[in-house]
Amino acid sequence: MTLATQNELETDAEVRPDGRARVVLRGRLNEQTVVGCWSRLEKELKEKKVETLQVDVSGLGFCDAAGLTLLLYLNMGRMTPQATVSVFGLKAELERILRELTLEEHEAFQPQSATKSDTYVGRTGWKIGQMSRDFQEEMVFLGAVVASLPMSIFHPKRSRWAETRRVVELAGANAVPIVSLMSLLLGFIIAFESARRLAEFGAQLYVANTIMVVMVRDMGPLMTAILLAGRSGSSFAAEIGTMKVNEELNALKTFGLDPIPFLVVPRILAGVFVTPLLTFYSILMGVIGGVIVMLGLGFTLPLILHQLASSVHLNDVGIGIAKSAVFGVIVSAVGCWHGLRTQQGPSAVGLSTTRAVVTSLLLIIVADAFFSAISFLLK
Amino acid sequence: MMNAPNDIAISVKDLTVGYGDTVILQNVNFQVKRGEVFMILGASGSGKSTLLKAMIGLYPPLSGEVWIEGGNLVAAQGKERLALLRKFGVTYQSGALFGSITVLENVRLPLDEFTELPDPLKEVAALARLNLVGLGAAADKMPSELSGGMQKRAAIARAMVLDPKILFLDEPSAGLDPITSAGIDFLITSLHHFGFTFVIVSHELPSIYSIADRVVMLGSGAKGIIAEGKPEELRDRATDPWVRRFFNRQPDPGYSVEPSGNL
Repeated sequence: MTLATQNELETDAEVRPDGRARVVLRGRLNEQTVVGCWSRLEKELKEKKVETLQVDVSGLGFCDAAGLTLLLYLNMGRMTPQATVSVFGLKAELERILRELTLEEHEAFQPQSATKSDTYVGRTGWKIGQMSRDFQEEMVFLGAVVASLPMSIFHPKRSRWAETRRVVELAGANAVPIVSLMSLLLGFIIAFESARRLAEFGAQLYVANTIMVVMVRDMGPLMTAILLAGRSGSSFAAEIGTMKVNEELNALKTFGLDPIPFLVVPRILAGVFVTPLLTFYSILMGVIGGVIVMLGLGFTLPLILHQLASSVHLNDVGIGIAKSAVFGVIVSAVGCWHGLRTQQGPSAVGLSTTRAVVTSLLLIIVADAFFSAISFLLK
Repeated sequence: MMNAPNDIAISVKDLTVGYGDTVILQNVNFQVKRGEVFMILGASGSGKSTLLKAMIGLYPPLSGEVWIEGGNLVAAQGKERLALLRKFGVTYQSGALFGSITVLENVRLPLDEFTELPDPLKEVAALARLNLVGLGAAADKMPSELSGGMQKRAAIARAMVLDPKILFLDEPSAGLDPITSAGIDFLITSLHHFGFTFVIVSHELPSIYSIADRVVMLGSGAKGIIAEGKPEELRDRATDPWVRRFFNRQPDPGYSVEPSGNL
């Protein structure tokens, strides 16, 4: 049966009832004509029971790489899996190329899946095993950090204070503008929202108490930590991750330098130092924001300041600052940890950065809840 | 279109490359014949890779022309430039495989982007190229799972999947052991039989002697070509002593390991 004349290619295909098939190609088999030829051959041959397939290409005037690929596909029996295929009439030069292109059976080399079992129980078990391995690695990391800290404290000359100062500047001083803006606006928001509700009870003066308690005990430390996680934790992960991808960590190790005291400890020390300072600053800016709103509501400054001073105790401030120090450790340690765990490949650093931020945020919230519960029970 | 002799694949005319006021190569002229293994040699920092990148259109030259298969790549725009880019394939020093997809997907990528072929044919075409470079078995591996030599071979497979006429290879043997390096040379020789024209940047002497038909040598500080010809001829008969030292692997006469007293 003559199928069609496509552009400059003529394709004849015949399938006999006894399973013998014959394809004759004439004209130019190139990137353009292959597409039409392919779909017609597939339609004609694929559903039929073909035992032998003869492909006659003696009439081909031109055959490019795409055409050769089609002949290769037919020759490999991919279109007619049960059939014995022979391609004949090819020019000697092209025949040699066709022979050299014959494929190894690549299906035999499918990669082994890391997940050994496909059952639900198997997958769950594998996941639990993976989590326990991760936990083990995290504990080893934590142990190494804790073991390295005394050396930094008791042997300050061996510590990398220049690196710590650099990180303090990057994570702390450079974050001041964004912390200022965020905290000031946070103060505005809390003051406006609470003023509306408290006005119903004639207690607008207590806006000062609300701002002070919320900023000192929760929002100040929490928002600063969230900002640091997004800004500095991600940067730690990306920086150390890139060093790992570039084999700089291997270079450190071959010098006999442990990356934990060399890279991680300075960042954790910087985090512990910077986060409480930024938190204190954040509280101050938040309260200023609230004071501005209260001045707008008609209260006098001495009255507002008196109300602010009477609303929190020193231990509230202590809890807020203690929280922020813990948040600082979480942000720095998690950032460095994910940086050190970076795998190979272009997406690895991005993945580590994302994981560092998400894990930091999760742990910050968990730690905050823990602090709230403890302080409630202690009262 | 240019009326180039039929056997000329690439013609570089008065090419000057640099950035700002710094000129790296000045008025470089040479031609590459069709089907030739042509090598660009020179000392480190002499501008070999810069010349290659100017030839493939990555660095716009300050002046001059690069004619590839009858089209001027420097002046070509839009579809004309795309058509010229399809006439050659390039591999980079690091292999530059995309790390987030498998080796097979790397080789298949240009077919997905530039052809309308049916998917099964694309897969066979990509696998055929991988088989040709001896990597049929590594088709489903990630690039990070391959050795340096395998990555370079996979990059060659990717470079030739669109059936270009010319392959540009930037230091294909750099950093490889002699056996793997010889394997790459063998691959280039085998592919040469398929009719490819090769332009290779290298300073590996064994590769130069075993596969190069003709070479140009860039001089350190000369901002251009200081020698051109067959490697054996340049080794034995070059007038420039630096070129002879290069081919005979001899140090500069002034080179000394005597303590200078500064340490």
